[in-house]
Amino acid sequence: MTSDITIMSTNLNKNILKNYPDYSIIGGEFTNNDLLKYSKVIFYEVLNNKKEEEIKELFSFLKEHHIAFINVTNNEEQVLLTDYLIIYDKEKILIEGSTLEVLKQEKLLKRLGIALPFMVELSLLLQDYGLIKDIYLDYKSLEDALWN
Amino acid sequence: MELKDILNEYGLVGVISTYKFTLDEEKKVEDLNIKNIDKALKMVNLQEDVKDKYLKDLSLDELFKIDLISKLDKDIIIVGNLSSCLNYKDRDFIKKLLLKLVNNYHKKIIVIDNDVKVFFNLVKVVVVVSGKDILYATKDFYDDNLYKYTSIPKIIELIKYLNKEGRKIQETTDIYELIKDIYRSVS
Repeated sequence: MTSDITIMSTNLNKNILKNYPDYSIIGGEFTNNDLLKYSKVIFYEVLNNKKEEEIKELFSFLKEHHIAFINVTNNEEQVLLTDYLIIYDKEKILIEGSTLEVLKQEKLLKRLGIALPFMVELSLLLQDYGLIKDIYLDYKSLEDALWN
Repeated sequence: MELKDILNEYGLVGVISTYKFTLDEEKKVEDLNIKNIDKALKMVNLQEDVKDKYLKDLSLDELFKIDLISKLDKDIIIVGNLSSCLNYKDRDFIKKLLLKLVNNYHKKIIVIDNDVKVFFNLVKVVVVVSGKDILYATKDFYDDNLYKYTSIPKIIELIKYLNKEGRKIQETTDIYELIKDIYRSVS
């Protein structure tokens, strides 16, 4: 398991935080400097009001300072910002692994009500139509694969 | 124009902002005195045993649904955090329910969220507010000015990128329409 993790769940409940007793729960407003006193932090649905660039900067800051972190979220786009993904079904771990490997189990995830990040879903659908062969996470690579 | 005027005109308005639940978390669900609670719970797909739970022990989707049904007797219903509380199946389910409340029961609904994607197939107008002032309002999800205030959804960002590169893709918020258009374009 890596030091940066996203957790998604079929229905998010604070009880899952009990599984990570050595992590400090971050809630409400905070600055990056506030986080320096911790070695492990867990964000429980507190990053949704931030723009993607702000979250990327926050995660880079944490990595730079060797602070392990878990982001618990229902926002499917945020899963691509960490290398490791854990999917809970209620309060039990259902699947975990590298983010892209977990996301490839699209049928299971969708059955659970968990959405895929847009670029992953689009890539998988375009694969079904035989238009591309890989998953593309950035626009230029997808465009090159489709039109060039 | 004020928010109430827009609400009167459209019935359902999306507001870009942060929403905080105001329910007292130390209370049990049954203490909220929700009218016709059994029927209301059924309407939002919650089990009856949720009545015995404290609000602080609810999962986020349960909290959202209880917040909603606690306001059903009001003419104007304000709900928020669809994107952070609900998984995508629940989001679709709740969006259909909100539309039904507006169309069949003549409720007026304000949906507060920072994620514009939540407003697709739900609202006809999106409003940015600061306190009681309207900073911006638009009916067009492709309006660049809207994204001065919040993140742009990936589907809109991708289509704008492709069109900038000269690919002539139609503006849509539906991934299947996008795929059809890409298929037509590359074939």
